[in-house]
Amino acid sequence: MTERADLLESAARAYQALAELAETVEDEWQYVTDLTEAYLPSILALAGADSGRPLSDEAVAAVQEAIVEIGLIADPHRAIDWLSTFPGIVALALGGSEL
Amino acid sequence: MRFQDAARDARTVVYAGIQADPLVGRVAALLAEATCPERLMARAVMNGERTEPEIWRRMFPSLFGEGPAGPAARDRAEQLLAASLEVANRGDQARNQYRGAIVEELTARLLARRGALVKRERRILFDGVRAEIHPYDVTVESPARPEAYDCKWGARGIDADVLNQLDDARSHAADEEIELAVAIVVFDASRSAELRLERSTARHERTGLFALETIDRLGVRAS
Repeated sequence: MTERADLLESAARAYQALAELAETVEDEWQYVTDLTEAYLPSILALAGADSGRPLSDEAVAAVQEAIVEIGLIADPHRAIDWLSTFPGIVALALGGSEL
Repeated sequence: MRFQDAARDARTVVYAGIQADPLVGRVAALLAEATCPERLMARAVMNGERTEPEIWRRMFPSLFGEGPAGPAARDRAEQLLAASLEVANRGDQARNQYRGAIVEELTARLLARRGALVKRERRILFDGVRAEIHPYDVTVESPARPEAYDCKWGARGIDADVLNQLDDARSHAADEEIELAVAIVVFDASRSAELRLERSTARHERTGLFALETIDRLGVRAS
């Protein structure tokens, strides 16, 4: 696996864990599922984008900080907010505009 | 159709104090001039667990690094980071109220760019129709083409009650042959808001949506 693919695999695992926390808000199960089904493949798809170029140290650090941030979340309501925000941060760090 | 100030109860008095906090105006002013990535950063910080600025600088290297942004853009990002951290440091309960007030103030500031008569916390009354209890967050009270906005921090705030109230107002105005534009402003990703709307069974086909990526359009007069 490339460094890019490794990093995005870690991001996807962190996102999946965030989704599992968010799913505990029963009233929002459908919305959480919709967000996850929309964004998780988009995060993984970034692995294939621009794969010829090495990642900058700054980009790796940015994604790792975002992974740490969502790993700290214990409140499922806040987790729902981050399901929408985290993918944008990852895409921005890797040079994309939005997911 | 006519606009009216909302009645003030204890809750609205407390919230009015937050709306009047200079921090709300400062963050909204910075967001009004911000780029989409800067707004994403502000959203993340105000939703964040950690409040050390260096962490957020590392998470957004394109805003704070030595890239193509330039010193003026970096300075703007630093100001927005500092102000967003002030909101985050208010604690969980207060930050929820501040975030809502900030989206409302940002909406009002962007609409004011058109020279529109922008008001806050207003009800819309129609002859022979029972008035809604909840006021609209922001209104443009143009006789020719009035507008009503509901503002949300996150797409999750979009629900059937909000959508029905907006569409009912639009429909009642149409009964009086007035074209009332109604929209939701959400400080969240467009995609998330669209997912939320797709699941809703409430009428929203004629309700506008302004999200993180498109919010600047509020300041552009519709043709």
